[in-house]
Amino acid sequence: MKVAYYSPLQPSRSGIADYSALLLPALRERIDVVVAEPGKRAPDADIALYHVGNDPDAHGWIVDALYKRPGIVVLHEYVLHHLISGITIGRGDGRGYLDAMERELGVAGRLLGLGVLDNLLPLLWETQPERFPLAAPVLDHAHGVIVHSSFVAARARDEGYQGRIWRIPHPAWPVHDVAPAGDVSGAPLIGCFGFLNMNKRIPELLQAFASLRRRLPGAKLLLAGAAGERFDLSRRLERLGLSGDGVIRLDYLPEERMWSLLAACDVLVNLRFPTMGETSGSAIRAMSLGKALVVSDVGWFAELPDDVVLKVPVDEYEVPLLERALELAAEHSATLGRNAREYVDREHSLSRVADDYVAALEVAAGGDAVDDAVLMRIAEAAAEVGIDDATVLARAAAEAGILS
Amino acid sequence: MRIAVCAPQVPFVRGGAEVMADDLVAALRARGHETELVTIPFKWYPGTRVLDQAFLWRLADLTESDGRPIDRVIATKFPAYCVRHSNKVVWVLHQFRQAYDYDRTDLGQFGESPEDRATRRAVEELDAVALGEARKVFATSRNVADRLRRFNGIEAQLLPHPPQSLPYRTSASEGYVLSVNRLDRAKRIDLLVEAAQRDRSLKIVIAGEGPDRSRLEQLAAGLNGQVEFTGRIDEERLADLYARCLAVYYAPLDEDFGMVPFESFLSGKPVVTTHDAGGPLEVVHDRETGVVVAPDAAELARACAYLRDHGDDASAWGLAGKEIAERVTWDACVDALLS
Repeated sequence: MKVAYYSPLQPSRSGIADYSALLLPALRERIDVVVAEPGKRAPDADIALYHVGNDPDAHGWIVDALYKRPGIVVLHEYVLHHLISGITIGRGDGRGYLDAMERELGVAGRLLGLGVLDNLLPLLWETQPERFPLAAPVLDHAHGVIVHSSFVAARARDEGYQGRIWRIPHPAWPVHDVAPAGDVSGAPLIGCFGFLNMNKRIPELLQAFASLRRRLPGAKLLLAGAAGERFDLSRRLERLGLSGDGVIRLDYLPEERMWSLLAACDVLVNLRFPTMGETSGSAIRAMSLGKALVVSDVGWFAELPDDVVLKVPVDEYEVPLLERALELAAEHSATLGRNAREYVDREHSLSRVADDYVAALEVAAGGDAVDDAVLMRIAEAAAEVGIDDATVLARAAAEAGILS
Repeated sequence: MRIAVCAPQVPFVRGGAEVMADDLVAALRARGHETELVTIPFKWYPGTRVLDQAFLWRLADLTESDGRPIDRVIATKFPAYCVRHSNKVVWVLHQFRQAYDYDRTDLGQFGESPEDRATRRAVEELDAVALGEARKVFATSRNVADRLRRFNGIEAQLLPHPPQSLPYRTSASEGYVLSVNRLDRAKRIDLLVEAAQRDRSLKIVIAGEGPDRSRLEQLAAGLNGQVEFTGRIDEERLADLYARCLAVYYAPLDEDFGMVPFESFLSGKPVVTTHDAGGPLEVVHDRETGVVVAPDAAELARACAYLRDHGDDASAWGLAGKEIAERVTWDACVDALLS
């Protein structure tokens, strides 16, 4: 079986490019994969696999290809508003954006879209994308959907998607011996990696850490990643009295350096709200390294087992609970880390993920033909004895797993 | 208790699975349970037909019969275990191995077309549903249990079953090596014939029928008097062949269980098998209850010659096997299945 594979690839600095760098070799060991390239002819294949994320620059061409030839969509996040606005408004297709908004919310959606186009409303993909995910235009062209979490699967079903959905965990990076970076330290050293913005709850993290540091003066917070354009990190640090040596600030990191810094931390933090339904590569990396991890109790993060990560609800008690969770995680870092490592080995192994992909692709590529053949014979046999409506029989077959 | 034992039947073919189902019914009846064997013909080809056949079992209503409830269903084999029942116990002799370990081998059924691949996946999904809903899953051998764990993530309890009831006895060896099996390529009887080609003093008797017979006969042409094909034989003749043989050869490729080693042991005879035979290795231990060699005709010939030249070892290993075989009883099986 041959699969046409659509994804951003390295050196693109996207989480999905990293994901594909991990997955592609494992898939190629199992099936014939031909990688599609932007601007080139679509490869001939039995089925196409489209990795879809929210960045129009990285994924616009992939959605274009999906629209021409439906296939399996890997929905890396559920909220695609930025993507859809980019491939509609961003290409001068305001009507396309209005159609997508109408598909989402009916006439009210179209009117909201008009408000955006006429600059009467703020840009919805920047202000409240989670309220208008705009996943439907993509789901409408999906023969099947691969998701990483039950959260996204449920959102797709809520949207009315009736096709096949496979939940396949995000694969974990194989971890070899990683030497912890020697130039950072803290007691404890708490790390937060990735893009730094409101959505990652950085303000809440800073408040919780400032409070923790008053009790644990040796504690340090390592913030590694670029800060959002409208997120004035320096001023926030200053205001909380963290502009001294309590916070270690690093920007973009090469892969090797990132791993060694992760390894040096006692506790890692990965907060999120609102969630776009995404899985966090940083969180998977942290667990792979056997690190104690503190996350927000939302979306995919909420599905992690309670004995593996500490989950902080996003509510009015978030900051004090987060402070306590950081302290607890540091105290129990060995146990949490061991549990995390075992969990990742069990649930996120690359080999298992690749096997699950192959299973999904095989069912997607040939499942309809199999269903048709079996249904046809059932219906024929039923019709020959005067049962013209074989719906009940078909349902029984579906329940038994005979029809996919 | 009213119990339905569910097993598929391949019309005009009778082998170990059919014997086992009959014996199970007899054992349950002997314990006072009202028991019936329920079968549906099974044809697994071409292509997606295997799913239709499974579906037939899915449609069967065994909740009650003639107005009285059926208390328990015991299913033995794919696709019989697809039957629906709230008190279903599955005692797995075989899955549909073409969808699992036989896939992409000479013994497989599914090619590389998307439809074939998806059919294989459908069998896998069907097993997940059918075995997943069972109250208990037993496996007749560790090999079967391992496969269930590896391919389906299902933990099965190991429960071997006794072989068919024959008038077992032990007589002095008359020097021949006996093969008792369906003449099927997967049973690798050709290895034994090739061993006879290498050691012209080795005598073999091949009992059974099957699609590989003419090929095997061709292979044995020229080995005058060395190889005897008996065809299908009755129980008395079979017990007699067991009783008088030197040893029993049994080396199918990665067999699930196989009753032949137990039958051989109950006749006080050692078993010659290969490292890759699967289930038989659970009871055939090298130089304890038989000889285990590489799947190679020369090695096989050497093993048979050793047994011929060391009669005391052959007798001792056969008796050691007998102790193992006698521990497996229908009473214990029924206790487990109804627990």
